[in-house]
Amino acid sequence: METRCHVLHPSCRVRQEAFGLLFYDMQGPRLLFARTGDMLDAGVIARGLPVEQALRARAPSSRAAAERLILHLVEKGFLREQPVC
Amino acid sequence: MSNRFVEAGLSAPVNVTWEVTLACNLRCRHCLSAAGPPAPRELTTQEAVGLVDELHRMGVFQVNFGGGEPFLRPDFEDILAACHRRGIVTCISTNGTLLDRARVERLARSGMVAVQVSLDGARRETCDAIRGEGTYERALEALGLLAASPIPTSINAVLTSANADEIPELHDLAGALGVALRVSRFRPSGRGAGAWDELRPDAAQLLGFGTWLAGRGDVRTGDSFFSLTPQERMGLGLNLCGAAKLTCCVGPEGDVYPCAFLQMPEFRAGSVREEPFAGIWEGSRVFRALRRLRIRSCESCHRFDRCHGGCPAVAYHLGRDLGRGDPECLERCVSAVAAGGPGRAREELEP
Repeated sequence: METRCHVLHPSCRVRQEAFGLLFYDMQGPRLLFARTGDMLDAGVIARGLPVEQALRARAPSSRAAAERLILHLVEKGFLREQPVC
Repeated sequence: MSNRFVEAGLSAPVNVTWEVTLACNLRCRHCLSAAGPPAPRELTTQEAVGLVDELHRMGVFQVNFGGGEPFLRPDFEDILAACHRRGIVTCISTNGTLLDRARVERLARSGMVAVQVSLDGARRETCDAIRGEGTYERALEALGLLAASPIPTSINAVLTSANADEIPELHDLAGALGVALRVSRFRPSGRGAGAWDELRPDAAQLLGFGTWLAGRGDVRTGDSFFSLTPQERMGLGLNLCGAAKLTCCVGPEGDVYPCAFLQMPEFRAGSVREEPFAGIWEGSRVFRALRRLRIRSCESCHRFDRCHGGCPAVAYHLGRDLGRGDPECLERCVSAVAAGGPGRAREELEP
């Protein structure tokens, strides 16, 4: 059972673009272009729901790529970890 | 990597500069909009809130409000509130003269607004000579109120020949007030065109500023100086013009332009009174042309990957040609100073 999940940082916004997800941090301001294609549903993330719920693709390789992306986004401050999903 | 995505075209601007009114209670000599009386047919409250709705639907992250002096619009706080209710972050560029404690408290409640107060010199005489008598003191009062609030606040200074030597002092002043410093580039648009010869920084001043900036990661510049940005700051900002790619400008009457410095009939991309903003962003001839613009004359320069030709607006204002390359880029400044020292630098920077 998952004990943690990741949500959009309150100072950040996200939207869908043709290449994937475009993140915006109003504290910077900073932009991050994530080449995710349609792997993740920006609408889910934008509503503050866990990124784990935004994963469209179910293949193990996609899940692994998504996990790497999530770690990167946490490092960059666009996502933050929450203890319970 | 991000340049490729930007040049391919985004579905919406990241941010929009919105000059909500042309009305201003000051007559700054370098004003990019030549603000003064309000424009004859400024957007109504209903039209403005309708535009906010549309920006929200498109996913615009931030609106940067300017003018004119935005607070001269009686409904300005309503427009701000409309943005905040929809999750759009805002930044207000103001001269500070209409800010009082009650207004600052109202603004602070949203938690979604930043404020830039214009101050064009670290010394009273420098600032007042550009912005008008008493503006220095009034800006400092506004900055004091804002600094005591949770609102992210910055001093916004336009770099000119008159204040170039005071920028470090202005940085110290900002630090003492507990606010940030943002330095913007002077461009020859609006009233700035008439004051250009007198107020434009010369090559030596631009180079001096660039060198100073290298060690000041806390100083914000937006994308103003990307053609002058030293290596040390390259990671902090853009390395290409964002007009019509990442941003655009909406004028007081709803006309849409690539940027605030190209508000001229030949760059009018459309009007939100005549067609949806999304259609203008996606399909206007002007925007498409800017997205395709390549500064061929700069492509052989060793810095081309760092600035992509610089600011097309300055090139256009000085040479009526978007494709000529930024006349104030780092390379040209270096060449101008090497050719004749600061005394000749102004002449050598002519396009």
